[in-house]
Amino acid sequence: MKTFLHYDAHSIEDALSLLCRHRDRARLNAGGTDLLGLLKDMVLPRYPDLIVNIKTIPGLDYIEEDSERLRIGALTKLADLARSPSLSKSYSAISEAARAVAGPQIRNIATIGGNLCQDVRCWYYRYPAHIGGRMDCARKGQGPCFAVKGDNRYHAVIGAGKCFAVCPSDLAVVLAALDGCMTIVSRRGERRVAVGDFFGPLANALEADEMVKEIDVPRTSTSRIQTFLKFTLREPIDFAIVSVACAIELTEKVCSDARIIIGAVAPGPFRARQAEEVLIGREINEAAATQAAQAALEGAKPLAKNAYKIDIAKALVKRAVLKNNSPVV
Amino acid sequence: MNTMAQTYRYIGKATPRRDGVRVVTGGALFVDDLDFDNLLYGKVLRSPHPHAIIKKIDSGRAQRLDGIKAVLTWKNIPDWKFGNPRIFRLLDRKVRYTGDAVALVAGESAEIADEASRLIEVDYEVLPAVFDDYEALRPGAPRLYDELPGNVLPPGDPFLGPTPLTQIVAGDVEKGLLEADFIVEGKCGYDNIPNPMPIESPRAVALWEEAGAGRDRVTVWVSNQAPYLMKLILSSIFGGRVEVRVIGGPCGGSFGSKIMSWRPICFAVALSKTTRRPVKVVYSKEEHLAAFVLRPASRLDIKVGMKRDGTVTAIAGDWLIGTGSHSQTTQAQVAVGCGEAMIAVRCKNWNVKPTIVCTNRAPSGIVRGFGGQELKCALFPILSRCMAELEIDPVDFIKKNFVKPGEGYLWRDGRWYDYRGIDFSQMMDKGAEVFGWKGKWKGWLKPTAVEGSKRTGVGVGVHGNADIGEDVSEAYVRLDGDGRALVYSCLAEHGTGQKNNAVKAAAEVLQIPLESVSITPGDTMITPFEFGPFGSRGTYAILTAVIKAAEEARKKLFELAAPLLGSDVSDLDTADGVIWVKANPEKRIRWQRVLFQRTILGHGRFEPDYSLSNCLMTFVEMEVDADTGKIGLLRVVNATDVGRIIDPQGLRGQLNGCLGTAGIDSAIFEETIVDPSTGRMLNANMIDYKWRTSCDLPPIENVVLETPFPTHRFHAAGVGEITTSAGPSAVLMAASNAVGVWLDSYPVTPDKVLKAVRNQELRIKKNEDISPL
Repeated sequence: MKTFLHYDAHSIEDALSLLCRHRDRARLNAGGTDLLGLLKDMVLPRYPDLIVNIKTIPGLDYIEEDSERLRIGALTKLADLARSPSLSKSYSAISEAARAVAGPQIRNIATIGGNLCQDVRCWYYRYPAHIGGRMDCARKGQGPCFAVKGDNRYHAVIGAGKCFAVCPSDLAVVLAALDGCMTIVSRRGERRVAVGDFFGPLANALEADEMVKEIDVPRTSTSRIQTFLKFTLREPIDFAIVSVACAIELTEKVCSDARIIIGAVAPGPFRARQAEEVLIGREINEAAATQAAQAALEGAKPLAKNAYKIDIAKALVKRAVLKNNSPVV
Repeated sequence: MNTMAQTYRYIGKATPRRDGVRVVTGGALFVDDLDFDNLLYGKVLRSPHPHAIIKKIDSGRAQRLDGIKAVLTWKNIPDWKFGNPRIFRLLDRKVRYTGDAVALVAGESAEIADEASRLIEVDYEVLPAVFDDYEALRPGAPRLYDELPGNVLPPGDPFLGPTPLTQIVAGDVEKGLLEADFIVEGKCGYDNIPNPMPIESPRAVALWEEAGAGRDRVTVWVSNQAPYLMKLILSSIFGGRVEVRVIGGPCGGSFGSKIMSWRPICFAVALSKTTRRPVKVVYSKEEHLAAFVLRPASRLDIKVGMKRDGTVTAIAGDWLIGTGSHSQTTQAQVAVGCGEAMIAVRCKNWNVKPTIVCTNRAPSGIVRGFGGQELKCALFPILSRCMAELEIDPVDFIKKNFVKPGEGYLWRDGRWYDYRGIDFSQMMDKGAEVFGWKGKWKGWLKPTAVEGSKRTGVGVGVHGNADIGEDVSEAYVRLDGDGRALVYSCLAEHGTGQKNNAVKAAAEVLQIPLESVSITPGDTMITPFEFGPFGSRGTYAILTAVIKAAEEARKKLFELAAPLLGSDVSDLDTADGVIWVKANPEKRIRWQRVLFQRTILGHGRFEPDYSLSNCLMTFVEMEVDADTGKIGLLRVVNATDVGRIIDPQGLRGQLNGCLGTAGIDSAIFEETIVDPSTGRMLNANMIDYKWRTSCDLPPIENVVLETPFPTHRFHAAGVGEITTSAGPSAVLMAASNAVGVWLDSYPVTPDKVLKAVRNQELRIKKNEDISPL
């Protein structure tokens, strides 16, 4: 592995000033479960000279609730999300999504901020440089998207343009369904970005001098029926081929509001608005769920090898809608 | 001899693995753990192109980097060649797959070597590449080697003897087809080239020294199971002036593949020859996946004739084997595969013509299953079409057609062998009973159960290999005055417990405590010849050499003791370091006295015997979700007959190893994915190369019978290699039955299942019959 300078940041200000000074020559490192792979395989067009360790910043590892919102510090470990009693009770989809990530060892060091900021898994983008050189593609600012003509079985079926890599984060799918927001800080100030808007076509919304400080979810989500389903080829330690998060508000048995987010089908968590519209104003039953599933990815344009993801997404949407909404027998 | 009456002190008993604690506590010294003074680190620069000529290569910048001791390219590397035919250079002017080696660097640290490799400037003339095995055969296809017109490799492996098996020809195929009640013409491929993926990636340390008198000596520390065979391979590459010593310590798995390590080993050797310092080359996991060795691709295009009673009347057609960029052993794998097909399927009329073809991807080579798994995984789905048409239960078919005493087969040396092993029918019945086959089998393309979108189905497969007595083994057993014995055997422990079993066998013959028996390291300077644990030869071949050596040592001991006891050799017995006269046990003498200032050396040799086969049957129950295409392995039952269990835990470990390492999971998700346009291996990482983790294990039950193999001292035969081989086609069968549509492409991924489900829905709509393949 190519060497780099490693600096333990002791405050947010500390980290931000280094980012400000070194820009794209520096990278933040929290759990490192994603970054180290990128470094070892020399995936990034610019290999960092400086790694800023933010694990040493105190006070960014918390799960707190008040009457307004749930607030999660960016350095909170996935293992803590998975086992937090308060999350399991009121934000169960968050714990489920955290539990669905990788395996226990990785969850013990991986953080929620890192999970949202992790780079894509596209196998062209990630192609290891020491096996014949890095693949320079659209996402790296030069070249085509190799997936378009290549093996695109895991790539986007909807909403992609220049790059067909999908958002690999399980937490992003759930947080988007729960109207989650990220607080992003830099020396220029603080801004809030909805999780659903964080993922752009070629990169996430983070500038080179910014870091994620906190993720929050409105308290209103707690009244919603939350579901998270993840489809993988193998059970543990795998990224989603498709995932679905649902948050459904029922008023007098009738769906008054719904969020249906599909993961791993688009550059970001994909909000299936057409499916939501099918449900709103109706009782949740088999027919409504089937119809919502049919509408969920309407307009999808699959590539040569990934149309099956649409079928899986439909099946998952239907199951997610019905899962915690089945009429009591 | 009635073996039921025979009791053993160690054979069949659970005894702790001697290296167990060291392995699990990190104390075992694998190649990467060894300390060397003055060690250099070797790195490989790899090709970005699948097919190209190196027009210009400039290593000046790399050489000038501080800490760099050698840079080798095709221009200054020794002209060492290997492969079958021997046309494959260690470094060539031409690169033949993305990731092929272009240059080697040795530096004071791995990081420096790595950095230097990136400073080498290469100009390539990019050539058209070919990735598909059929395409490679077309006229005008890009040609990989001047020596190989049409990209076709010459058939036959000279190692197998003067008339190696290159095809299956027997009887009269036309006549056989006329006798059939049904003929199916079908294609099936087992061509997803999975990687056996031992945990420890390929690696070696080499030290080249002058031995005086114009001769050289090279010592190589390897990670593979057969140091002596590696010595022979390396000697043949370096030539007679070089004395080769190979030392094999603990090996982190091989599954056959590590004996293909000549290239990483020779990289270290070439760098050491240049620098005269020890050089270590360790492949990364990505190199292991993308630039080492894969299972050969197998595509079968054949006609099968079958009678209503399950008699196979003819099998004829073409077998295309893709070997990637080159072959070391593919011809030998084809030979063994042909023989294994004849063992599994009795048929009087055969005409199967193999063709081995090169393409621009990483090479194929030895992976457990050695040709037979490749052939049979493609053959059984085609046989299934016939069985389905004739409504034959596959368990009945296998029972009827697996080789039985009095029958025979062609084997790898091109000769016919009359089978003199055991009849496995009873084991097959027992396996079916434990699995509950009769209750679960509902007929072809019929699910066992349907619940909502979840459908279950069952399948079965079989495998047998006449390799249990293949090739030569030798061993010495030394008896010492302190009542101890030392086994000299060139084994490197690659996880199966073979060294432990050698100790057990010697202790059993000599009747001394296990703790009194030691075994040498697998070091060619110390031990006699040992071909190595390949196939399932460990029990029958390797242990027989050890047993014979121990018997000879025992006999020599008695010859010394007899005059001291005033008795005949034949009247003596021994246990626990004491020799006594059988008729008068009071007359006794300790080894210590017989062996005062003396040691005894017994020599044992095993000569090949191809007249025996092992057998494994695998039953699987699969669940298919018709809505998502997800397939799940619900249950596995393996049935085998090993004659006599040597080591129960070791056997259980082997049988439970049926899933990974390019086994059953090669029908579920293990596959190598090559980019169709760049030839790059896309899933050369452990996330995208799907392999089962230990959290994902289905229940596995193993039915093990012990019908004595009369020709072995302990009546035992090995089965380790083949535990992966029977399952993949069983998965296809089970998934097809669950869905109700033929699935005949490996692996059965969700997209294929969903496509099949949609086809089935269409078919039901149109009320059509399935067309044959």
